[in-house]
Amino acid sequence: MARNYSSEGDLVTTQPNSVNKGCIFSLSTGNMGNGAEPGASEVNGNYKIGDACSGDMYRFKTSSLKTGSRVSFADLDGDGNLIKTCSESELDIDPNISSLNFGRSLSYSAIERTKNTELLTHVCAKTKPYDTHSLSSLDRLSTSPIQEEVAEMCEQINGEESELEQNDTESLDEPSEQILHSSHSVSPPRTVTKGKPPLPNGKSKHRPGSGKQSSWLLRLFESKMFDMSIAISYLFNSKEPGVQTYLANKMFSFVEHEVDFYLPQLLNMYIHMHDVAEAVHPYVVHRCRSSVEFSVKCVWLLSAFSADVLKPTWKTSQGLKLRNMILNEELSHHSHSHKHGHRRNQSHHITSNSPLNHSMNNTLSPSGKKTHTRSRSDATGIYIKQSNSHSTSTLHNYACGDLASGRAFDNGCLCYQSSEGVKNGLTGREMNCNCGAPRLTPQIEFIKALMSIGTRLQQLPTKELRGSRLMAELAMLNLNLPARVWLPTAQFDHHVVRIPHTQSVVLNSKEKAPYLIYVEVLECENSLTSQVPNKILENTLRYTRSEEDLATFYHHGNTSPRDFSVYGSMTDFDDADCWSQEDDEIIQLHLSMKSIKSCDSISQFSIESSTSGDSKDPVYIAAGDIRRRLSENISAPKGKFERDPEDPSAAALKEPWEDKVQRIRESSPYGHLHNWRLMSVIVKCGDDLRQELMVYQVLKQLQTFWELEHVPLWIRPYNIVVTSNNSGMIEPVLNAVSLHQIKKHSKMTLLQYFEHEFGPQNSEEFLTAQKNFVQSCAGYCLVCYLMQVKDRHNGNILLDSEGHIIHIDFGFILSTSPGKNLGFENSAFKLTHEFAEVMGGEGSDMFEYFKILILQGLIVSRKHMDKIIPLVEIMQTGSQLQCFSKGISTIRALKDRFHLTSTEEQLQLLVDNMVESSLNSLTTKLYDGFQYFTNGIL
Amino acid sequence: MSQEAGQGDKKGHSVLLRKGSSNKMALKEKIVQIYEAFFQGEDPSAGNPNFWDELFLLKVNTTFIETECEKLSGEGLLSLKENFNLMFYKAVETLKQDNSIRTANAVHTLCALVRGIYKKTLKDYGFDVINILIGFDSAETVIQSLIESVNRFLNGDYPVALKQLILKFLLVLASVTDNISQNTLLEYILINSVYESLIQILANPVSRQTLGVDAILVLTLLVQYRKYESANPYIVKLSILDDELALTGYAEVVSVALSDFNRDYKIRSSEQQTGWFSTLANMVGNMFVAEEKEVAAVRANDSVLLALYEAIHLNRNFITALTHAHTPSIPSTPPSSPTPDNSPVEDKQVNPLENSQAPIEPAHQPTNLLVTFLEYSSVVIQDTKEQTRYNNARLCLIILTCIAEDQYANSLMHDINMNFRVPLHRMPMRHRKAKFEASPPSRPLVCALLDLMVEFIMSHLMKTMPLELYTRCLGICHRVLCYQKKCRVRLQYPWKNLWTALINLLKFILSHENHLVKRANIFHICSKIVNIFNLFITYGDTFLPNPSSYDELYYEIIRMHQVFDNLYSMALRYTTSEGDHKESAARLTNHLINVRAIVNHFTPKVDSWAANNHLSSLTEEQVLEVVRASYDTLTLKLQDSLDQFERYTEKPNESAFFTQLVRSIITDVRKSVSEINIDQQTILQEVSPMPPTP
Repeated sequence: MARNYSSEGDLVTTQPNSVNKGCIFSLSTGNMGNGAEPGASEVNGNYKIGDACSGDMYRFKTSSLKTGSRVSFADLDGDGNLIKTCSESELDIDPNISSLNFGRSLSYSAIERTKNTELLTHVCAKTKPYDTHSLSSLDRLSTSPIQEEVAEMCEQINGEESELEQNDTESLDEPSEQILHSSHSVSPPRTVTKGKPPLPNGKSKHRPGSGKQSSWLLRLFESKMFDMSIAISYLFNSKEPGVQTYLANKMFSFVEHEVDFYLPQLLNMYIHMHDVAEAVHPYVVHRCRSSVEFSVKCVWLLSAFSADVLKPTWKTSQGLKLRNMILNEELSHHSHSHKHGHRRNQSHHITSNSPLNHSMNNTLSPSGKKTHTRSRSDATGIYIKQSNSHSTSTLHNYACGDLASGRAFDNGCLCYQSSEGVKNGLTGREMNCNCGAPRLTPQIEFIKALMSIGTRLQQLPTKELRGSRLMAELAMLNLNLPARVWLPTAQFDHHVVRIPHTQSVVLNSKEKAPYLIYVEVLECENSLTSQVPNKILENTLRYTRSEEDLATFYHHGNTSPRDFSVYGSMTDFDDADCWSQEDDEIIQLHLSMKSIKSCDSISQFSIESSTSGDSKDPVYIAAGDIRRRLSENISAPKGKFERDPEDPSAAALKEPWEDKVQRIRESSPYGHLHNWRLMSVIVKCGDDLRQELMVYQVLKQLQTFWELEHVPLWIRPYNIVVTSNNSGMIEPVLNAVSLHQIKKHSKMTLLQYFEHEFGPQNSEEFLTAQKNFVQSCAGYCLVCYLMQVKDRHNGNILLDSEGHIIHIDFGFILSTSPGKNLGFENSAFKLTHEFAEVMGGEGSDMFEYFKILILQGLIVSRKHMDKIIPLVEIMQTGSQLQCFSKGISTIRALKDRFHLTSTEEQLQLLVDNMVESSLNSLTTKLYDGFQYFTNGIL
Repeated sequence: MSQEAGQGDKKGHSVLLRKGSSNKMALKEKIVQIYEAFFQGEDPSAGNPNFWDELFLLKVNTTFIETECEKLSGEGLLSLKENFNLMFYKAVETLKQDNSIRTANAVHTLCALVRGIYKKTLKDYGFDVINILIGFDSAETVIQSLIESVNRFLNGDYPVALKQLILKFLLVLASVTDNISQNTLLEYILINSVYESLIQILANPVSRQTLGVDAILVLTLLVQYRKYESANPYIVKLSILDDELALTGYAEVVSVALSDFNRDYKIRSSEQQTGWFSTLANMVGNMFVAEEKEVAAVRANDSVLLALYEAIHLNRNFITALTHAHTPSIPSTPPSSPTPDNSPVEDKQVNPLENSQAPIEPAHQPTNLLVTFLEYSSVVIQDTKEQTRYNNARLCLIILTCIAEDQYANSLMHDINMNFRVPLHRMPMRHRKAKFEASPPSRPLVCALLDLMVEFIMSHLMKTMPLELYTRCLGICHRVLCYQKKCRVRLQYPWKNLWTALINLLKFILSHENHLVKRANIFHICSKIVNIFNLFITYGDTFLPNPSSYDELYYEIIRMHQVFDNLYSMALRYTTSEGDHKESAARLTNHLINVRAIVNHFTPKVDSWAANNHLSSLTEEQVLEVVRASYDTLTLKLQDSLDQFERYTEKPNESAFFTQLVRSIITDVRKSVSEINIDQQTILQEVSPMPPTP
């Protein structure tokens, strides 16, 4: 029940067992255990609960399932006082509705928390609770769904209830109790008989004098230190609904992307921890309503992490329910435009919650009570209504998902084509779809299409077949673009307009067929509301160029205005017009201008020579020059790998990103647009990326801390999007090739390659690259040690164009390693003599620097350990991931690797030992050898 | 038959129509009777408001109508004008209804009328057919209404069989005259366009499988109407079509048709190659049959190729569709067997199934139009002796010329990221067996194109060599090289193959000089060949893959210097003697300057090197060494406009060819659409919502 924090030395929160005996339920806003001993619980000396709740003593809060109740922890002022403001208009509550809600929530909480259901019903019949908490924290957000929720909450929160939070009798003098004071109220408790209109309580109330007794926990939550990372770990650790609800409410005030970082943790808890699910549900629902991208992310993560739930029970199926709810577009903007004869906020409330309640009610029906039954019938009715309206809307977009239709990612929304939409598009104003077309479908279908390509590629035996098939499939996909879809790995809003399919490559993998695609996007204000760009055909060189070169075109001489209108020349339509040479001359002109810019003067000669046909003087050239130019052209260093059909990705990845962008931009029909961007993404199908995602989070945290503490360790976390438990997308590391590819294509040692790429050992470039190498190596050594990253063969280590090494593929971490955990690689991390050679050899300055970096990194990481461990620990909950195969000891081992108890001297010794042993590790060599023989990886 | 008898008869059959619908024999009799009444100048419909509704419920006897028309004299035909007009008008009116049986019958009636009357006028009567058929006064409105119905049926949600029938009707309309430009009926279809409906069929992935072939055939024929004289809106519209889906659909239809041919050819040739003895016997027997069948197939492909030509020639956006992938059709389900209610949902369900088969059958690998077309070309150009095949090969080369001329097509063909395996067929020759590489190397498409050209050059060195096709072939090579030079594309291609082929061609022309000079301007062809060499010599630095290939070029020229020497002396001979070819011969000598400079520069050096080293014969490596050492002392003359070529134009040069081609296609189409009578019953069955009345 109670969770003890004493080990942390911070807070002690205890929830008295005895209190709950007579209590009906503990309420979501706090440990609502209602004292059976009236008078014993005095809160802040103001008044006694007992007085307030004379007689029955039944205090309850509406279930935490209710959206509203969760907001009962309002914003607190500096002293820990609740700032309550009340907007009266929102308190005009239809008693029937509120009692209905009340009843439903009651029935639910009753079953969950109490056996004394009779009392419950009794209270339910008697009480008409309400209170007027319009919370400033929510006012700040002031988005309409919130306000509605506030309003709902107000219906459900009773004046008395809020005080209940303080009557935890046993913990009166314990600081932890003080968390609960937040929803105190000075107003005397009231019992409202059913049907009586609620009395607005519109005064803002401050409770003086609470500062002294302010809880440590609360102080922490109020402090500037408090951030999402703390919130998430207390959400996980605290079993108290009050704390959880408080934290969940607090999340509304966090910056969205900060919360989003912890989304995997949040949703994993949602799936596996029922109480947390209740607490964060309103937040998730709110975010889903406001953001399609968030909804889509939720859907993917929920399906990915729900996959581990072997037997969904009512306690663990809420994740899937939420997912289906999102997928069914029940959380879209327009879904609450359905009116059911209630006032807007009411109907909204019902629609948003009904599916969940409905299902709850179903599961709970054996213990149904009067109130319960009633609420169910209501909810069910609404639910059916909802699904009906939904199914009709899906009928319209039959083409969605059908790639051959050309409108596979079109949800059938016409709002943007309407005159208003066009106007808004032109004026750059935001435009919201209100036609009720499914919001998520395009994006979900887009990713689905990419994934199904991956599945199909897997069935092909050779890389070449896969490569050509991939291009064919992507060309097909292209027919459906541009569309209102985006790459989930991107950090900015955009629309995907084209996939240059010939640039895509299949990556090296035997069974799975991950592939890398480049994606042309047009940046926009908001992917959801901005106009989708129009289609421009591939072969429109002449249109785009001729517009740009209009002046040149005009002066070119041999054009007649006739050429501009196709229909204009109807009367004397001449077949030859179709093939008039002008277009090609423009192209030629363009090309020659381009090559003049890029080519040297010698090459320019041959271009001019071809156009100087009318000069009568014969031009002579030396054969030797031609031959020389040819060999110069060929031998010019290109910084490229030759195309290798067995390893198509090597050449594609080696090409410097800037060059590639330039090249693709030139050939793209959209390339002339100023907001054109090129992005790339690796699509993985058949691989579980959940571990990768977790490592990404850990790396990101480590990177932040190292930066914060100014230790120059370098790592490159790459973004991961998990779309299901066996598929996902990876943001590729630009300008990087694997050590294996380097060795294979350059046939040099690493040091030689460094010299080849960056210059001699004492050159500026080399030294910079070497510094980069050392810093990144230190970063990744530490990561490999902490996370026990295995399978470190050279195919999984990249080297970028600045000399950084980057580890990829975190398929084997923590408790798992390749070869059935036999411990092939038993060194702390992979450090070969080749690496040491690049650093200048053992004992060199750089090598020593390397060791110092590891030590500094470890110390800093240790300092922030409590922000790293929860990331992993929460994911361990209910997880079937390989990396947690050793259960809870995995986390313990992880904690141990931070060596909390060691002194810095001890740590230094440890680092020295690890470096030493890794360098001389036999198993590293063995493993490389093994990889060479089995997979041909050098 | 007297008026009274006619009246009685009419009453009698109207009674029959009402209640005797179970009596099949009587009904059959009746419709013929009604027709007879019409052909006798009577109007059986007078006084019976339901007459037409009932008539079009009866099965049409198209042969009767056509033969009756045949029997009529010119005057007879004219005198029946009113009746024909009425029938035509009523049939068009019936199309406005939504009863599929009546619709189908009405279309059949229209087909029969149009064909019957046009067949008559084809012979010797110069009547204005439109007047007899529709009547001048009402023609415009009637056809407008007809086309409206046609569009409605093609676009709307109607049975596939009905749509097919409508397309066949359009084909009937388009194929009534041998010379399509004389088909004045089409003038109305230009005004009332069916273009959009056809494009919509092509854009729809489901409908194009069943209707695509007919749709592109209709479109292609309509494009031919007065192609060279007036403004044909179909030409304009097709040339600016930018619906990517429709273009892809168009390409897919063509691709499927050609790959069907390729597959059949592959099966046939592999059958021939199996058992040695059995096939020898079989071959003698089957050869002619198989040959005939193949010629027929080639003929059938003419229309598809013409469609491809028009698309490439008219529409630039179509080039994109050339490399779009299609999954080839599965032989067991030819596209002609329609599944009536093929909904997109079903289609989606089919997909995973097809995907699961993908790894098993490599033939199901997606292919694209250009790959298919190159393979097809490799089959067709093998043997050009027969006129049909010759024409087909010619059309293929024209299309390839258009492709090789297009900047964007070239960029696609040269894209090193787009590699394809193009299975090229090679003819069995005396010195080599028929060779078909099952898995050719995967390369950029232009390599396959060049291989194809080299193959053509090498395999037609015979007395009756198709000089005109050779000119085209050289033109294609020249265009590709110009692109490479212009865009500095360094293609990894064994250029030596091309050089050898070209030198062999020169050698052959030289040895058959006397014979060939009478047939064509061989100096022109030789100039073309020499200029290709000149491109390599003077601009090699811009597109050759490596320096040693430039050395190799010199080596080949030096090695075969005798050919060039002979060529030069032949050209000189003609310049000195007066004759037709004096000028072109002079030009040829001019073009030979650089080649001769190379020969004259290196040959003595090689010889002296051999003498110095006391060697009688040198290895290639030794010669190359001499070549490399002596570049610097060689000066070349830069020749004018090596990288210019005359752009392809259809109008003056090719119009005769295309007119003839269209003529033969029209004849074929007419023949094929006359068969629609036979499957009338099946169409009715598919069309009718209820089981057909027995």
